[in-house]
Amino acid sequence: MIVPLTHLLILASILFALGLLCVLIWRSNVIMMLIGIEIMLNAAMLVFVAGSNHWGMADGQVFALMIMAMTSAEVSLALAMVVYLHRRKKTVNVDEFRELRDQ
Amino acid sequence: MTLADIRIALPLLILAIGALLTLICGAVTRKQTIATTIAVLAAVGAGLAAMTAPAVLVAPSLGLSASGLTRLFIVCFALMSAAVLVLSSGYNVYRDIRGEEYPATILFATFGMVALACATNLLIIFLGLEAMTFGFYILVAIDREQRVSSEAGLKYLLLGAVSAAFLAFGIALLYCVAGTLGISEVMQRTLAGTPNPVALAGWACLLIGIAFKLSLVPAHLWTPDVYEAAPAPVVAFLSGASKAAAVLLLLLLLPQAGDLAILRVPLFALALFSMVVGNLAALRQNRVRRMLAYSSIAQMGYVALALLSHKGGGFQAAAFYAIAYGIMSLAAFGAIGILERNGCGANLDDYRGRGFSHPLAAGVLAIALFSLAGIPPTIGFTGKFLIFASAIRAGEIALAILGILTAAVSVYYYLRVVTALYLQRSEHEERERLGVFETAVLGLSSVLIILLGLFPSPLLDFLRTQLP
Repeated sequence: MIVPLTHLLILASILFALGLLCVLIWRSNVIMMLIGIEIMLNAAMLVFVAGSNHWGMADGQVFALMIMAMTSAEVSLALAMVVYLHRRKKTVNVDEFRELRDQ
Repeated sequence: MTLADIRIALPLLILAIGALLTLICGAVTRKQTIATTIAVLAAVGAGLAAMTAPAVLVAPSLGLSASGLTRLFIVCFALMSAAVLVLSSGYNVYRDIRGEEYPATILFATFGMVALACATNLLIIFLGLEAMTFGFYILVAIDREQRVSSEAGLKYLLLGAVSAAFLAFGIALLYCVAGTLGISEVMQRTLAGTPNPVALAGWACLLIGIAFKLSLVPAHLWTPDVYEAAPAPVVAFLSGASKAAAVLLLLLLLPQAGDLAILRVPLFALALFSMVVGNLAALRQNRVRRMLAYSSIAQMGYVALALLSHKGGGFQAAAFYAIAYGIMSLAAFGAIGILERNGCGANLDDYRGRGFSHPLAAGVLAIALFSLAGIPPTIGFTGKFLIFASAIRAGEIALAILGILTAAVSVYYYLRVVTALYLQRSEHEERERLGVFETAVLGLSSVLIILLGLFPSPLLDFLRTQLP
């Protein structure tokens, strides 16, 4: 393998941190939060493929494929909810949804 | 695929086919009762299939197994989903939730839990956990007429997706260290000897993901909102079965490792903060459902304490308490659902005098609250006793004392509801409306709360043979 595992792990960690940051700070738009979550999951997939290559086994790649399938289901669910919320409240800003809270 | 493989996968097959039949049934007839009946039969059938399966089977080609612990939990999940379906049939008429997708989604969520229980590798565990959570994403937001239910659904979905990413990343890092996804190999290679930094990062991510599913502090923020807005039977299922599934996940993983010293500090912190924050926040609540949500955070803190003190038999205590908490939340939220259907509001004041106007539902709620508070002779007392005994045996004296103190504090807010139910008269004079099956489910769960509290030894002996 030309690229060592460590480098891939570092790259994936940076991607994961960027995705998490996106979720935490981009609260004005649900779609951007979903993109952040996608980036986090992509980082996980990258680690799986890297590990699978490192060990010469296929199960990590199978896991990556399964994450892709899971992600597509999750995004379809989330976007359906975004469409519904937008129709209801005319906003996709997460901070606008705060009827449920401690009194 | 051999006959033994099919035998192991039988509960899964029954649940999947049952869910599909429920969906098809909706295309043929619009009668809600038929879909619910099919779903209940499928759930009970899956439980029976798991009960009759021969002991200790492994299907390596499927990544599934059927050990005793697995089968015990499959039976619990299946019966709990059947009970939830029965309770929802009346509640959904009141909330005007129609359609065959409700029972089908409950079955799909149960499918995820059963898959998780059977898993022998991390892929099946992850897929099972996510299949279960997907079901709950839909179920929490299923009441589209209510404003708040979509808000709760959005919060649960976003935080759930982040926790799924953490879980996947954690498993990926562990895979990089271990080179395989098999549970026992991963556990032995990532926790033994001097800790590998990649394995430590993997465990940190994995624990964050699981802390969300168990609603342990600091991943607990979704809990009160979801508990407040979701339909009551869904909350019973979420709080009982999905948390039991997350505890089972840890019980499948942790006993396989020889040495858990690395996980002591994170589990210690999770248990400490969950017990303190959950119990103190519950004290301030005036809405019964929110109060129970914070109390569930505290209860899961006790389970984390049990897992931490595995050297003193904590695994058995955790398994026992997971099942006990499932039964208690089924009784509590089943009763709350029936009270709400009979016109009871969300605040504590609305529960005044319900013990006289709605004797059955209020009685079951009172038993469940006594049990949650840990008052003998209930299952909650036995479970808490086992947890604190194992913690003291394992040398976690400080946490055990803190746990006992916070449990004593918790008695106040549980009994506040009971006093509101019984000690204050009110003007409600309407009659209690209850179905036969709902009465049976509530009665059965309250009988189990007392019976397992008085005679816990059969269940405990079984758990002792299954867990170290």
